[in-house]
Amino acid sequence: MNRPRIALAALAAFLTCVAAPAAAQLNLVGYWNPLFHEDVDERIPGPSIGDYMGLPITDAARLRAEAWDASLLSMPEHQCKPHPSTYGFRGVGVLRIWEDRDEDTQQLIKIHTHIAWQEQHREIWMDGRPHPPEYALHTWQGFSTGAWEGDVLVVKTTHLKAGWMRRNGLPLSDRATMTDRFHRYGDVMTHVMIVEDPVYLTEPLVKTNGFLLSPNGSMTPYPCDPVVEVVRDPGFVPHYLPGQNPFLAEFGEAHHLPPEATRGGAATALPEFAEKLR
Amino acid sequence: MTTLRPTFALMAAAAIAGAHLGAAQPPPPPPGVPQTALQAAPIDLTGQWVAIVNEDWRWRMVTPPKGDVASVPLNDEGRRVAEQWNPTTDGACEAYGAAALLRMPTRLRIRWQGDERLVLETDAGRQTRSLEFGTVSPPAQRSLQGHSVAKWVNPPPPPGGPGLVGSAGGTRRAGGYLEVKTTQLTPGWLRRNGVPYSEDAVVTEYFARFQAPNGDEWLMVTTIVDDVRYLTQRFITSSHFRREGEGGRWNPRDCGAAS
Repeated sequence: MNRPRIALAALAAFLTCVAAPAAAQLNLVGYWNPLFHEDVDERIPGPSIGDYMGLPITDAARLRAEAWDASLLSMPEHQCKPHPSTYGFRGVGVLRIWEDRDEDTQQLIKIHTHIAWQEQHREIWMDGRPHPPEYALHTWQGFSTGAWEGDVLVVKTTHLKAGWMRRNGLPLSDRATMTDRFHRYGDVMTHVMIVEDPVYLTEPLVKTNGFLLSPNGSMTPYPCDPVVEVVRDPGFVPHYLPGQNPFLAEFGEAHHLPPEATRGGAATALPEFAEKLR
Repeated sequence: MTTLRPTFALMAAAAIAGAHLGAAQPPPPPPGVPQTALQAAPIDLTGQWVAIVNEDWRWRMVTPPKGDVASVPLNDEGRRVAEQWNPTTDGACEAYGAAALLRMPTRLRIRWQGDERLVLETDAGRQTRSLEFGTVSPPAQRSLQGHSVAKWVNPPPPPGGPGLVGSAGGTRRAGGYLEVKTTQLTPGWLRRNGVPYSEDAVVTEYFARFQAPNGDEWLMVTTIVDDVRYLTQRFITSSHFRREGEGGRWNPRDCGAAS
């Protein structure tokens, strides 16, 4: 064997070894249908105004939510907003996952997740690249890098636009970050979100979402063109001033729940809170 | 042909390297010394954990009204039985069976009893489950917690070398989970308001553990209930628990009354 051949063989072996650590331990590729066996009120029809139960929100988050008016969503500027990645996995719509691999080395470069509703397309970089500097563009899906932790895909996301943790006005700031984990058990996948936000959360918000593999899944496009649904005065933005939202008590009254429960906060997620209610 | 030779050499080298990596396996235990379940544990589930109830709050933290079966895939018979629930039985032990116990606002204590049994206790309803790794015959009698057979599921060996995490038994490969299958159940409730599961139910659970960026340790349990008598499809939920330190609150409350 001459020297060039030895060098080439050594290079090939090296490249294979370098590529190996990024190789998937588990295959998540396919169509996944969201399961709505939990939080169905929040996730299908949408949450009630004033329902913050179990969420570790700050006073600032509560204040923002109480000023929120659902009519905001009828404004052309808001009609085609996708969910941020900190919420999208709780929304409706089929999830598709696929991979980009280098054609020559088969090294995993990127995992894509795409949720049908409002075409939430996320790129998860698996090639070890760093996150961009803090001043880089913030987007709805953010900047995501992933790594395999045994058989679990663990993803870190930064550079998010200001978004929401619940579709009733509870906000997340553009300083929020997320770690999410994809656990697969046969045809069932449990997706875990750990969201941190120094502005609107007092502690990390952990949520889990179930998905079921759809072997014959499909996805349709979701084009969105904003239109003027309601003619308003220029510059008007639907809102409630502090203390003037008339709907905040409706949810608690309908379900016989006291305000200290519906107003949320970390303590409302603990078993001792349930004992206090009995 | 001369120009193809380097390419062939590249492919051959890559194939050899790939085959070698694909064949990598953790070293087997010494001959004649099988590992116990305790020794084989890829993750450490022991300790005290507290349920963080920020999902299905209205159906878990308080007793929902009679007939509120939202999101449970009940068939007609299941709905009929749910409608027969008597609200004066709120807090009955049927709500604390294995199919729904971990949905309760509760704390868990998990410990090893010997090398082949994990014991899981709850303060809500004062229930105890035994998760058996060895070959234990099913009991003759059905029970609220049934007969649970457990097995560890290890992550595939990483091709780039072992990813190690701390656990009670020293350093192990990252990942892995516990799979538990429970049968021999007596009829119970999926929710406190009498949403039923039958004695035919089979409960499959996956216990995983992870660390949040702030250092908190979490236990996540994915629960799948199969019950052809009352469900039209599998009922799949996931519940998460945060690890508590020594001296964490523990408030045992019996079931059988409002608890």
